[in-house]
Amino acid sequence: MSETIAPEARTDAPGGAEPRRRERRRLSRKHREWVAAGLFLAPDVIGLLIFVAVPMVLSIALGFFQVSGFGSYTWVGLGNYERMMNDPLFWDSMRITGLYVVVLVPVLFCVSLGLGLLIKQKLPGMAVYRTALFLPYVISLVVVGLLWKFMLDDQVGVVNRALRSLGMEGESWLGDPKFALFSVIAVMVWVMMGYYMIIFLAGLQDIPAEYYEAARIDGAGPWSTFRNITWPLLRPTSFFVLLMSTVAAITGGLDLIFVLTNGGPANGTSLAIFYIYQQAFGFGEYGYASAMGSFLVLIMVAFSAVIFAVTRGGRFDNDS
Amino acid sequence: MLQHDNVVARTGRPPGRAPGRGASRRGFLAGAAGVATAAASPALLTGCGSGGGSGGKLTFWNQYAPQRTEDPAVQRQSQWFIDLVDQWNATHDRQIELVFIPNATYTDGAKLPSAFAAESGPDIFLISPGDFLRYYNGGVLTDLTPYMDREAIADYGDSLETRTVDGRVYALPMEVEPLAIYYSVSAFERAGLSEGDIPTTWDQLLDVGDRLRGNTRAGLAFDTEPGYYQNFTWYPWMWQGGGEVFAEDGSVTVNSRATRQALQLWQDAVQFGIAPRTMPAAGDLLNAFQGDNVAMWQSGIWEVASFRAHAPDFEYGVFKLPVPEGGSYATAMGGWAFCANAQGKDPESAAEFCAWALGTMDERCIDRMVDWCTVAKTDMAPRESVLELGEASGGYDFWAMKKFRDEIFPGGRGEPRYPPVVYKALSDAIQGSMLAGRDVAGQAERAEAAIQAYVKSYEGASLI
Repeated sequence: MSETIAPEARTDAPGGAEPRRRERRRLSRKHREWVAAGLFLAPDVIGLLIFVAVPMVLSIALGFFQVSGFGSYTWVGLGNYERMMNDPLFWDSMRITGLYVVVLVPVLFCVSLGLGLLIKQKLPGMAVYRTALFLPYVISLVVVGLLWKFMLDDQVGVVNRALRSLGMEGESWLGDPKFALFSVIAVMVWVMMGYYMIIFLAGLQDIPAEYYEAARIDGAGPWSTFRNITWPLLRPTSFFVLLMSTVAAITGGLDLIFVLTNGGPANGTSLAIFYIYQQAFGFGEYGYASAMGSFLVLIMVAFSAVIFAVTRGGRFDNDS
Repeated sequence: MLQHDNVVARTGRPPGRAPGRGASRRGFLAGAAGVATAAASPALLTGCGSGGGSGGKLTFWNQYAPQRTEDPAVQRQSQWFIDLVDQWNATHDRQIELVFIPNATYTDGAKLPSAFAAESGPDIFLISPGDFLRYYNGGVLTDLTPYMDREAIADYGDSLETRTVDGRVYALPMEVEPLAIYYSVSAFERAGLSEGDIPTTWDQLLDVGDRLRGNTRAGLAFDTEPGYYQNFTWYPWMWQGGGEVFAEDGSVTVNSRATRQALQLWQDAVQFGIAPRTMPAAGDLLNAFQGDNVAMWQSGIWEVASFRAHAPDFEYGVFKLPVPEGGSYATAMGGWAFCANAQGKDPESAAEFCAWALGTMDERCIDRMVDWCTVAKTDMAPRESVLELGEASGGYDFWAMKKFRDEIFPGGRGEPRYPPVVYKALSDAIQGSMLAGRDVAGQAERAEAAIQAYVKSYEGASLI
């Protein structure tokens, strides 16, 4: 082979050298595919770099500075983290966030799964029910907040009116620290359940009908069918819902809190994300807020890792 | 069978493409992507751009104008700002452009602080007393004193107190807004009460509130939402008992009998069911009164304009804040002020504009302020000459305005300019005692400890 190529390479005829050189420079098919893949991925990667990775790195870096909010940056090392460790309001907000996550995620999971099972039924008008249940998810959280603020009003809200019509005492759902956080959770479940319901529905529809048919022939009841077929085969979907709803609970809900309670009453709904927002944009403490934000991300990563470990990443038992 | 791969392999071009010198599909896509990126870059970059405005114009951020609205009261306010800037632009080389920022975004939102954090704040902006120190200590407020008439500074008198540092003026108030209590005449009558029952003491206030409350009607509404505004509405109750957050010498004195009794008043009002835990009608005072969801509500002079514009037939009354036993009357007075960004593109012109608009003895300047305080809005004037002219021109003849002028305004104090940490410590004490029912002594003690810890490391202008 080399004998064949070598004379050609030495050819210095004016008409023959240029095309061959061009041919040699041309990329192999494999490399060309790499380039194509890179080009197709580039917009996303560039977008992620500019809008996610760079701000994230800057935010972590900001946590080591005291930032005046007017262009002055002073290096404080771990000063913001020390302050965070000694800030009782931050730990209060973490405690409230913990309670919020611990209540919201399981409730949301169960409600969404229940709705997913219900809307899987083949009944007339099911598309209307599915749309109706999904609708709250597409409404802006600010609008949702205002809507529920009126509905949960102490004096004239429909909830208290309904309770009074049943001879019960109305409560201050958003003004009493005993109820406020749970009211926010209830509103959040109402907003998010449609989205996770659709995810569960997709998972349920992926389970082959033959399994249910076999279970029916074997005489399995609804609970036994759910426990032995639906639940195990929903594992990847359940994992996804659990992970996403946990992340959303730890880092989301700011706009709803902002409209519904502004963190009150008596800091009763001051989630960590709200406290961080308040420190940054209300008080101009950008460095301190960044440090708390970085810490919250760490917590979120740790939670995600635990969920991955416990659920084996949503894989089935027989998957490697 | 001719495979796609074979065509590409042999000819180096995709099937269906004629050989020639035209650009390949990949080349086209790459080129298009490049062009699109180049085209989008300026738009993306300007999207993150400054509040510096277009061209050489100075930007004036505010929550009034220009805006299109059907609301006649808002229209008047918007037009006042537009006229003001038009007058300036007609007589000065350095042009100004109004930038409207919706109220929620401007006051409680992230818009203004984010702009300054990005070093692209507006050249001229409105500021409330609660924000003054933060912006002053940040070095972004221009000293307006050199641009003002000495006589005008004297004319402002005490109204400049919370906007002055070491005798220099850094913001010019356009209005003074005292707090009082509004009440529904109809609710009073239905409860068998008359004007003679208007409370003058705290005990009477709670008694009357108790008689006025019903299943769907609050007897008395204090602000319930944590924030600068709630603190602003609470301060007078503390002042009336002689309480102060800081003594004259700067020491922290918040844990006092006066503070505890003010916290106790709000706690009692909520615990006895006289005051609601959330604002009636989601905070809409007019709707709450018209819907009979509230009988008395602590609010400011600006509500007179709202009643005039939206509920002219609603029968309401207003009275000054009752006082505790052995206390003396006080109310808090808020209001917005013009200030110039020291880091803006032309701080001198911006400062000159602020002084020209509100800080000279020129007849047009005084007329303009009278117009703002008595026509565009219903406010007390921050300057003596403006107040006098406003009275002479009948701006305070309306019964409610007269009440504010004669009874409520005298004895008023400017809203304090406490920085965020102080605000937050007090807010937590108010919220904790009012809505969580916590021991008021403990709340006052905790607030004092937090403020003391902050003051030790505080560097900046005087907190009082």
